[in-house]
Amino acid sequence: MINETMQKLVREDCRISCTEPEVFSILRNQEILMTGGTGFMGKWIAEMIAYLNETQQLNIQLHLLGRDVERFKNEVPHLASMSYIHVFEQDVRNLHDLSNKINYIIHAAGTPDNREHVSQPIRTVETFYRGTQCVLDAATRVPDLKKIVHISSHQVYGSNEQEQSLKEDFNGKLDLVNVYTESKRITEVLCSVYRNQFRLPIVILRPFALIGPYHDLEKPWAINNFIRDGILGGPIRILGNGATVRSYLYSSDMAYWILKTLVIGKTGAAYNLGSSEAITLADLATKVKKLLGSDVEILSKSSKENYVNSSKLVPNITKITKEIGVNETHSLEESIKKTIVWNQLIRK
Amino acid sequence: MLKHILVTDSTLRDGNHAVAHQLSASQIASYAAAADKAGVPIVEVGHGNGLGASSMQVGLSLEDDQTMLETARKHLSKSKLGIHVIPGFATIKRDLIKALDIGVDVVRVASHCTEADITQRHLGFVRERGKEAYGVLMMSHMASASILLEEAQKMELYGAEGIIIMDSAGAYLPSDVAEKITTLVNGLKVPVGFHAHNNLGMAIANSIVAIESGAKLLDATARGFGAGAGNAQIEVLVAVLEKTGFITGIDFYGILDASDLAEKEVMPVVPSIKSESIVSGLSGVFSGFAKHVTRISKEYGVDQRDVYRELGKRKVVGGQEDLIIEVVMDLVRNRK
Repeated sequence: MINETMQKLVREDCRISCTEPEVFSILRNQEILMTGGTGFMGKWIAEMIAYLNETQQLNIQLHLLGRDVERFKNEVPHLASMSYIHVFEQDVRNLHDLSNKINYIIHAAGTPDNREHVSQPIRTVETFYRGTQCVLDAATRVPDLKKIVHISSHQVYGSNEQEQSLKEDFNGKLDLVNVYTESKRITEVLCSVYRNQFRLPIVILRPFALIGPYHDLEKPWAINNFIRDGILGGPIRILGNGATVRSYLYSSDMAYWILKTLVIGKTGAAYNLGSSEAITLADLATKVKKLLGSDVEILSKSSKENYVNSSKLVPNITKITKEIGVNETHSLEESIKKTIVWNQLIRK
Repeated sequence: MLKHILVTDSTLRDGNHAVAHQLSASQIASYAAAADKAGVPIVEVGHGNGLGASSMQVGLSLEDDQTMLETARKHLSKSKLGIHVIPGFATIKRDLIKALDIGVDVVRVASHCTEADITQRHLGFVRERGKEAYGVLMMSHMASASILLEEAQKMELYGAEGIIIMDSAGAYLPSDVAEKITTLVNGLKVPVGFHAHNNLGMAIANSIVAIESGAKLLDATARGFGAGAGNAQIEVLVAVLEKTGFITGIDFYGILDASDLAEKEVMPVVPSIKSESIVSGLSGVFSGFAKHVTRISKEYGVDQRDVYRELGKRKVVGGQEDLIIEVVMDLVRNRK
């Protein structure tokens, strides 16, 4: 359960990230629909809308679609109870019609959790492919639709070991057996087709790694597990190549960037959504240990001794910073520190 | 640079198969203390089929899980206490939470080699509790290297810090081990391990081939005390590893002493490769079936070698012990 202190922390994060609140005046009295709205991203969009409604008196109505509404209500009752947040249980694979009142859509359905992709590969493909088609089909019938932001993934680039940062036109290695990669690629193709054939105003965002409150530490990603292991007293376990390079965008920045793209993103464009502050997993583990301020052990476990190359998944964010006018307001160190504090509070 | 090999001593778990799960608390206490003194990194304890497995289906253990684990915990100070967990036999709520509360350090979550999906919740839970979690693919000779890799990758994503493939039937030749371990090492991020059985006399050789192919984790037991023809003999393995320049952290004289003690106090008979074990290995039948096959074959007067061959043809796996009687009855009917 989120207590008052945690609500204040999140609200403060929104304040820091929301550097140009006046941009959102265009959203006054507008209705936004978000699929995949009850997860990490949905909670943060709800927090940011709450911040905007309360500080700018915008009266934005947010409709969140998700598969586990009860869980959402239990986890974030302060959001679920707000008069302008409406939560609906809906599997996007069976979505037919949307309210005529909807003006904006954020399509974020489908989990990035790769445990689900390997355990339920067919459902993964269905959720992304059929779910996206259902949303876009329904969108063609909405009379006053102004913009759709499709949340894709950096996975569409495939793997990379050479480039220091990836631009939006990067063509990575094809990996036809990776269910998630190929599913996300086909959703981008669908977006392109619907934009072309039905003139839907679609913008694509490709998120890289994210971190912050509401991010479940049990998810199978290095930073989550480092923080969890550290909070539990260690050891922090680096599994695989410690020279692997990643970057992490803080959650409130993520929410602000998504909403700002919804407002001013160019139809047909694709933007990277992530942090440019690159770090190796080995250095990340050391940073987490330092910020925890405890003497936890760091263990490295790997199938191999020497790696010739290391995976690098860091976005080039020139395009989004220039065209959308966003900046990172939280350094990696601040992001980790805040995530630690939040998770320590939640475990109390 | 000297390479470090993490050895798990399964004497008090796999060895339980060899005595129809009748290891006593005092036997567990004395061997655990000896293994601890020898500096064995991980001592695995429990019913042969792991936590929560004591049942009419696979055999009732003399001691319950709690007694076995509490006894071992009391006698292990340096060594970590490990358990073997097959989801289905062991549930999180009924068994795993209790085991972790007793002080288990290492949990090896196992599934049949093509069913890694069933390990997700257990592996996740162990990591959530901050304990060491490994994935184990049993009867690995029944899947190709590429299938094993796909299953192992699932376990890696579920949170396994290492993947061990078990030659549960003692069916591997060194070339099989080299192919499978190499594939896993190249395709996984986390360390790879090998658990040998000795039906074809290959346990030590296969273990060495495994580490030459990149494995970093090995299982072994005192005098090879384990299911069927037994496992890789830990005292021999430590000697061979030392001779070939690997580090285990295990004191050589200490493990010789522990094995001598095990022979005297823990095992009624030192494992040997009996004729039926060879047939079992060639047929690819789970070594844990040995006691049941011997008993039922004797009862109905059928040649247990024929039973193994038929079980092998039917591709029977661990947990399908009830099929042994079916096979025996078919042989009896066909005889008439």
